[in-house]
This record gives sequence, structure tokens and C-alpha cells, in this order.
Amino acid sequence: MINRNLAKVLSFRYKILALVLVLLAAGLVLLPKYVKHEGISPKELLSNAISPERYISTDELAHKIIEQDPSFLLIDVRDEESFKKFSLPYAINIPLKKLLDEESVNYLDQDEYDIILYSNDHFYADQAWIICNRLAFKNHRVLEGGVNEWFATIINPEKPTENMPRLAFDLYSYRKAASMYFGVAYPEQARPAVSTTNKTKKRRVTVRKKKKMAAEGGC
Amino acid sequence: MKELEKTQRLSIASVLVVLLVLISLLMYKRPKHVYNTNSKNTLEKVISDDYFIGLDQINNPDYILVDVRNQIEYNKGHLDHAINIYTPELLNKINSKLLKKNKKQNKTMLLYGNNPHETIAQFMLLYQIGYKNTKILTVENSYFENKLITKNSPIENATVDINAFIKESVKNSFKALKKTTKI
Repeated sequence: MINRNLAKVLSFRYKILALVLVLLAAGLVLLPKYVKHEGISPKELLSNAISPERYISTDELAHKIIEQDPSFLLIDVRDEESFKKFSLPYAINIPLKKLLDEESVNYLDQDEYDIILYSNDHFYADQAWIICNRLAFKNHRVLEGGVNEWFATIINPEKPTENMPRLAFDLYSYRKAASMYFGVAYPEQARPAVSTTNKTKKRRVTVRKKKKMAAEGGC
Repeated sequence: MKELEKTQRLSIASVLVVLLVLISLLMYKRPKHVYNTNSKNTLEKVISDDYFIGLDQINNPDYILVDVRNQIEYNKGHLDHAINIYTPELLNKINSKLLKKNKKQNKTMLLYGNNPHETIAQFMLLYQIGYKNTKILTVENSYFENKLITKNSPIENATVDINAFIKESVKNSFKALKKTTKI
């Protein structure tokens, strides 16, 4: 009697085994948190986010622009309105809300150019940087202090007082020269500055990132 | 009889397989902190601006102040009833417990540092690993005669119109030029 019952159950044994496997596979789907786990680990992100290495100073940036360094892209993460009002030379506007659009990602996720993010201060630029860093985009920097700092140091540099060290004076003259490059005119140097610098300023060809090609299969 | 022996082998094998799967599931080490928000949602949160709290709104029993500066600065002076979670130590054991406790009690954590910039890293990381009960207290801390001075600090204000400034400077220099040529 028992044997017969056992045999009956056993005739389904493969189906039962298959069912067990299917249930196990379904269990994988129910592991919810891993679905959203994209990018580098939180620990890595934290150690990247607290390091001040990402900042670039306004002086460095001014130097890069004046030298017409072709290796970087300036990206403005403010909205279009403020971008139209004022933007740094050769900047590209990617408002923060469009940061992860496909078109923007083409600019952001590549390793040909260094990318320098800026906003009015560096608050929004930092946020953009952290989002990009989680997605493991490479070579991103943030302009420290943003446009406000740009104004305070490059466009309208503060004159050092007499008791300051020589370095401060050197820095001031460097910044003053830079501000003249960006169009500011000083009354005491009106003649040479206005007439020469503006004309010799060459426009750099805006670099455009080619669309990233998907890796093509070999043989 | 032969049939039975065969099935026994089969059932032993299947039991072993199931055991193996179970054991491997149990042994699998989960990472302590995982994201539970994707980048898109994080971006939406960042844009929304509803995570800023001003100094005048902090008198709420559901708020817990969190000082993100290091311990030395915290000991030197901090806001009343603030706890200290130094950002680089955010993911260690003690702080994780603290965070979990706050989340359980439905408290909102208000992060502050010497300026709002210092809180960004901690805020964004906490948001992405699932602590949505986090906000930023937009204050600036400085010291005056060894006393902590806290005041509201605006976020991302455009202070000056740079184009206007440049135009003005050009105008001024032209004026100066005219003056000198007249003389």
C-alpha cells in the first residue's frame, strides 16, 4: 500500500524538482535592493566625496582659458537663464535637471577631456559631481567658489595693501592681466589694454564630443 | 527494490542540492551599505530644493541636529542638542546604529557644518543609501571671541552682474581716456 502511494508521488519527482528550482529562481527576483545598485560602492563614493582633490581654483582655470588649453570642457550646471546672462568663455550649458539626459551624458561620460563643472557657488556643481562620481564618470573637477569666486578673484581682484607680502602683489598683477584678457578695462591703462587685447583674442573652436560608439563585437 | 534504490539516490542528491543553495544563501555576505535610490531619483531630489531648512525653523521636536564637522571643532562649540557625525566616519558601526535609530523614531536629521558646502557629501550619501529623513540646515558657523556664531547662509546666490561690471569698467576707462586726451 505504502509502496504504491510512494510510487505515485515519485512519478512527479522531476516536476517537483523543477518547481523547486523555479521557486529558487523567483527568490532571486525578490532581492530588492540590488536592483538599484548602480555605480561604485557607497564607501568608495564617500571617500571620493570628502577629498578636496576635485577642486580647481579660479586662477588655474583662468590660466587654462588664456593658454587655450584644448584638453578640458567647461560645463555650466546653472539654468539656461543665468547661463545666457553670464557664462565663462567657451562653457557648455547643462542645467542640473538635464544632467542625466542622454545628450548630456555623452559629454560627461568620456575620458578624452577633463570636465570642469561650475555654478554660482560650488554647491550645485558639487552635487552634480557626486552624482557623476557614483556613476564612475572620469576626470571631473569642480571650480571652487564658482562664478562668484571668479568675479572676486579674476574679474575684480582686490588690490593688496602695502603691508602684504610680495606674493600678493604678484598674484594681483597676474589676476589683473587675466581680467583684462576677459574684457575688463582699467582707466590707468586704457589705451594699450582696450586697443590690443580685445582684437588679438582668438576664439577657440568649441570642442564637441563625438558620440560614444558601443563596443563592436570582434570575430 | 531496484527502483527504490534509484529514487533514494535521487532524493539524496536533491536534498544535497537544496542544502547547498540554502547554505550559500546564508553564507553570502551582504555589503553593509547599499544604495536604495538610483541616480535619477537622487537628481530629482537635489533639484527639488525642499531639503533646505533655515535657522528659524529648527524648533521642532522631530528634528535632530547633526554636526558634520570633526570632533575637535564639535567640542569647541556646537548648536544645542546637536550630535556629532563626522563625515568620513559616516559609515562606521556606531554611526550606522545611530542613523538606524533615528530613522526608526521618524526623526529628521538636520545636517550642518561650518558652511552648507560641508554637508553636501554626507547629505547626498545618506539620501542614496536610504536615509530620506535628512535635510540640510543652511547656516554658517564662525567664531567671535571664542563664541560660536551661527547665521543663515543663502545657497547659490548670484552676487553680481559680471557683464554689467565689465561694461561699466570699459565705460569708465573711456571716460578717463577722454579726460587725459583733453588735457
